[in-house]
Amino acid sequence: MIRILFADQSYIVRKGFTSLLEHFNEVETVVTVANKEECSEKIQALAPHLVLINTSFFTNTELNAFKAKLSDTTHILYLFNSVLPDESPANQLSIFESKASLIDKIHQVIQKINTAKDNSESEELSPREKLILKNVALGHTNKEIGEILFISSHTVISHRKNITRKLGIKTVSGLTVYAILNNLIQMEDIS
Amino acid sequence: MVDVVHEDIQLLAVIQRLNIPLGFKEKTVKEICEQHEVDLLFFLQLCNSYHDKEYLPADQFHEFPVEWIIKYLRNAHRCYIDYRIPAIERQIVMLENDNQDNGQNMELLLNFFREYIREFSGHIDREEKDVFPYILSLDKSLQQQDVLQEYVDHFDDYSIDKYLEDHNLIEEKLFDLKNILLKYLPPPVDDCKYNNLLFDLFRLESDLMDHADLEEKVLFPRVRNMENEMKHLQNRS
Repeated sequence: MIRILFADQSYIVRKGFTSLLEHFNEVETVVTVANKEECSEKIQALAPHLVLINTSFFTNTELNAFKAKLSDTTHILYLFNSVLPDESPANQLSIFESKASLIDKIHQVIQKINTAKDNSESEELSPREKLILKNVALGHTNKEIGEILFISSHTVISHRKNITRKLGIKTVSGLTVYAILNNLIQMEDIS
Repeated sequence: MVDVVHEDIQLLAVIQRLNIPLGFKEKTVKEICEQHEVDLLFFLQLCNSYHDKEYLPADQFHEFPVEWIIKYLRNAHRCYIDYRIPAIERQIVMLENDNQDNGQNMELLLNFFREYIREFSGHIDREEKDVFPYILSLDKSLQQQDVLQEYVDHFDDYSIDKYLEDHNLIEEKLFDLKNILLKYLPPPVDDCKYNNLLFDLFRLESDLMDHADLEEKVLFPRVRNMENEMKHLQNRS
């Protein structure tokens, strides 16, 4: 089941798109946000698979900051308040588009998400993630972990995001408790 | 008034934090509020925002004196520190004693929770000792349209945004604790106690969210406005 976040200032557009999106059986929830504050507030709790966003909602810098908060697997569709040229990419929608064409584009992205989900459905930690977690629990910083495992600290951060998503544990001390409970480290290792 | 509590038992917390005692008899909300000198509109807004998570009319709250909001928040702090948190801690200690096989796990959890309590108390301490007095002093100066000496002495270079930098992280540990209990701890001997602990944690978390919302979406934006007014005032004098 797919969770969608829809960001648009217009009440009417939000209502319209929500009703369109709810036609899809695969869609679990559609959360709409009308402003930036609401958006940053909802984004973490929802962890959406798909984000639909009006191009006038954020400035470019804000959009990049927003994207950094999303998980790597989140798809984004852009909604324009203007008519699109004929050969615009599949991730661009327009409020003037016909119902059939909108449904077609949304359907495509939902299928992509579902295929990707089937491949990575397992919520178990991968061996690599366990290794990262172990080092986090031992109190190493991202940079140190990167040096130990010969990967960039950016990769470490992306692993940590996935670990937190899978376990539902955000803080280092919470992760440490998890690591001890699951014998990744011993109580004596931390002191 | 009794219908309010029948409708949503969680609102009892609001009633208690406004120092309204039980024993409502057949009195209406208005009568009870008048009797205990609580502003009716303030009461209604608090109840509504507590009852419906989506509802928080910041504009309406701006009509009320900041002292009211701070008094309410302080009473809520008292309730967390004196009662809710110790109750949860006791439950974990009890589970630790019951589950000797799992003793080590429970001890781990208890340490985790104590760490949380330390952070949480520190957070509340800072609000009680710095933030709230700062806001009250700011408010007093503005009301008298004069930069009061006590404000200059204590808070001249203070600002709410300085404090806000570390305001957010406090809920994360509670969130983790819930997941560790639900997902990763070996099943306990006494389900009843264990479930009770979980209920308490969820309730505390939801309560704290409301509390933080009231601070972050109502009180602090308002303080920012007050700070701007203060700057004008200082420039003028």
